[in-house]
Amino acid sequence: MEFKDYYKTLDISRDAAADEIKKAFRRLARKYHPDVSKEVDAEKKMKEINEAYTVLSDPEKRAAYDQLERQGFQAGSDFQPPPGWDAGFEFTGQGFSDAQTADFSDFFSQLFRNQMRADPRHTHHMRGEDHHAKIMLDLEDSYHGTTRSLTLRMPKLDHQGRTILVEHTLNVRIPKGVHAGKVIRLAGQGGPGHAGEVSGDLFLEVHFKPHYRYRIENKDIYAALPVAPWEAALGATVKIPVPDGLVDVRVPENSQSGRKLRLKGRGIPAATPGDLYLVLEVVLPSAATEKARKFYQTMAHELAFNPRQNLGV
Amino acid sequence: MLQEIDAILLEDTMLSLDDLARSCRVSREWIIEHVQWGLLPDKNLINADPDVWIFDSRSFLRVRRMVAIERDFECNPELAGLVADLIEEVESLRTRLNASELNEN
Repeated sequence: MEFKDYYKTLDISRDAAADEIKKAFRRLARKYHPDVSKEVDAEKKMKEINEAYTVLSDPEKRAAYDQLERQGFQAGSDFQPPPGWDAGFEFTGQGFSDAQTADFSDFFSQLFRNQMRADPRHTHHMRGEDHHAKIMLDLEDSYHGTTRSLTLRMPKLDHQGRTILVEHTLNVRIPKGVHAGKVIRLAGQGGPGHAGEVSGDLFLEVHFKPHYRYRIENKDIYAALPVAPWEAALGATVKIPVPDGLVDVRVPENSQSGRKLRLKGRGIPAATPGDLYLVLEVVLPSAATEKARKFYQTMAHELAFNPRQNLGV
Repeated sequence: MLQEIDAILLEDTMLSLDDLARSCRVSREWIIEHVQWGLLPDKNLINADPDVWIFDSRSFLRVRRMVAIERDFECNPELAGLVADLIEEVESLRTRLNASELNEN
């Protein structure tokens, strides 16, 4: 386990006063807030910042941490807490709950977790805490439902009643109709209950992985429908794969690129399902052969077509 | 053999005021006040008894977002509401931009 330099994470000096720590935290929280940040790894950074702030903003935790540094531990050095390192300090879990600190590093949990738990004020908890996470699904999962394997780090009580973090893998059956922006709930998969009470629930916020063909807006799906010039001009019935199979689509005559065809109710399934929009994209055959060139030349001669008529030229 | 577990869409069961408060680790009063101040999407709840209020995915995510903003920046609820509104607006515009394929990334 690596020793963490919390001062470096917050970019502050070791003698920073409480209000400097708070300022540094807010500045970084603004930069890395996952809702707005464009930085890569914003979420990971935000967790590190929260962890550093949890320690340095709490005078007891900060004093204990500083003492370890004085004993010669440095960032990146291999670290095991020396016996009795926390003697004389009392930790309380202010500001962040168990579920939030579950995201923190092993370094943090090794130092502060058990101490927080040992505080009798934290043992009268009844039902276990609810936990929150995100899950990435494919669009197709919305149409058919799916089973996903999910690995989570969960706090559990060991035989001495202390909280330890364990990896926990679940197979989650996801019903059809679940889509981005929705939340799904796994009953009893949150934090453990205390004194015989039930466990909390796990709430997963659903996101979609980007899809090479489909664009998604709420329950509606958009996809390009490539057509030949004669299909667009004369009308045609064409076959196209959609998320729930193959469909025959009638392209009306005199269609242009950009025309939207709506397949009602073929979007994401729900009591009121979304729609599927196919956006026509007229694709020209290349003029690579003599025969093709002749066709184009005949069209140029026979059709007297000026696509720039509206531009006055 | 891995444990199999059924996920339930929040909209199929919805959350009560107490469920929402417990899950997001705020008090009932925090939610009641935020509803009364018009800072949650559930403005139509104001005239009903809080004990019959129910909340969906959107309210759940909004509460989580508001709690994080208020905590991280120690700001007042109105400012957090404004930030959350803007974030949601940007998200919705990005989704539409993406759906209309104007986004070249």
